[in-house]
Amino acid sequence: MRGIITCWAAVIRTKLAEQMAYRSHFALSVLLLIVGDLVAPLVTLLVYRAGASFPGWSLHEALLVQAVFVLAKGVAFPFFFGMVGTTLSQVREGTFDLLLLRPRPVMFMSMLGGFDPEDFGRLLSGAVLFGYALSGIVAPDWQSWLQFSLLFIASITILCSVSLFLSGILFRWVGSSRVFDIFDAVTSFGMYPGTIFSKAMQNILTYVLPIGLIAFVPASALLGKSGWGSLWALASAALLLLLGILFWNRMLRNYTSAGG
Amino acid sequence: MKRQLALIRAIGFVTYKEWAAFRSHMLASLLVGPVLFLVQVFIWQAMFEGKETINGLTLPQMLTYYGVATIIHYITFDFADWNLQMLVRSGKFVTFALRPLPHWVFALSQKLGHRSLALWVEVLPVALLFIFLFNVNLIPAAPGLAMVSIALSFLMSFFINYAVGLSAFWLVRAEGVRRVFLLLKDVSAGVFIPLTFFPEILQKILFFLPFQFITYLPTRVYIGEYELAGIRLTLVEAVGLQALAVAVTGCLTLLLYRAALKRFTGVGV
Repeated sequence: MRGIITCWAAVIRTKLAEQMAYRSHFALSVLLLIVGDLVAPLVTLLVYRAGASFPGWSLHEALLVQAVFVLAKGVAFPFFFGMVGTTLSQVREGTFDLLLLRPRPVMFMSMLGGFDPEDFGRLLSGAVLFGYALSGIVAPDWQSWLQFSLLFIASITILCSVSLFLSGILFRWVGSSRVFDIFDAVTSFGMYPGTIFSKAMQNILTYVLPIGLIAFVPASALLGKSGWGSLWALASAALLLLLGILFWNRMLRNYTSAGG
Repeated sequence: MKRQLALIRAIGFVTYKEWAAFRSHMLASLLVGPVLFLVQVFIWQAMFEGKETINGLTLPQMLTYYGVATIIHYITFDFADWNLQMLVRSGKFVTFALRPLPHWVFALSQKLGHRSLALWVEVLPVALLFIFLFNVNLIPAAPGLAMVSIALSFLMSFFINYAVGLSAFWLVRAEGVRRVFLLLKDVSAGVFIPLTFFPEILQKILFFLPFQFITYLPTRVYIGEYELAGIRLTLVEAVGLQALAVAVTGCLTLLLYRAALKRFTGVGV
């Protein structure tokens, strides 16, 4: 454990130093992530301003779902999601071999290499949006906060699993940056209250592709709209993580390096 | 002129062949486009519950807006900015500076080839999915004007992206600027929501910016009526305004291109 923390600390220091070499670029990239994450809430705001709404959801409640989504990305992206980008470039260039030679588990090294401090910008936009959304709803009690905290861990676990699946795919689908578009498209379901989807779609988003567990279920817990029963999401997230690890390791065997 | 056209055709054809080797990259749009559209269907079906119109648009009109905007996005998609910045940053631009053909013509030819491939790999299949799966009406109100408007949008998107790419001649690492600008461009172009949803004062500003001519205006021309910031234009007037905006943006981009070339320094140049 101490070794893992030492590794993370070293990588964080190095990546921050690297970013400081191009400070304006770093600042703009963080700004971009903040602005980018606020696009969906902006659209929601504009639509509510026009007099429309998601049935049964006030503006602040709808924004809370989106805030939780951005917050989860703010934690998961800097630590886990970068591995998708590094796998993409390293497999294409043949430099992934270097990770195989290091005296640490390959998956861990891939996550370390993908650490991206820019993504902490999402945490800022998520926190601002979260605060704004909370200001317009009845203050949640401690039980709701506890449920939310546990479900938020499930949410991050699911995003970690998704990054393992996407990264794993790239061992076979070499160099395809479209995995990011696929991620954005599929997870866009998770940015809106689950009740707007048809029953069949709700079931798919809960049990097949658990996108709904990323933001809708934790936000519902905070709003007091779901009971303790929703904590089954923790088991679901753990199972998905296990599948993600198995999938990634299985796909790693397909890595042929530059020599074929 | 004939020689130039032959050059453009040759570059376009090579780009077409080059990208045809990576068809799966484009084919991902068959999943991405319909999935994003499906989300819009659910969102707007919920929003329209108990309502006939929102901001003057009915549910079918709203879905047509998103369907047409997606198709136009695929036709006019551009990454000249990324490409140019990569060439400048890596120093590879030097090989273009020595060629007897302006780089912007080369880049435009590449776009023509790239998007020609996209017509049958991306645009046609996604359009068919929209028509048969989602019942979106993709028949343009005035086919001739819609085609002219999309062609102008193709050029506008190229000139704007190329101008953004030119920032690499002044900035050491221009990626951040590029990404911020492109995001604001998409918001201002009406990619995420029709511009009529913005507050009145913002609509007035957006009317005078070049971005609405990439997505919003061609989409509205395709549908058959144009309105922004309380200004209603006939389709001919709207396309005329778009042509003027493209000409002005094109001239500004070429001026910027000349200024950029004067700044360029590379190995041996």
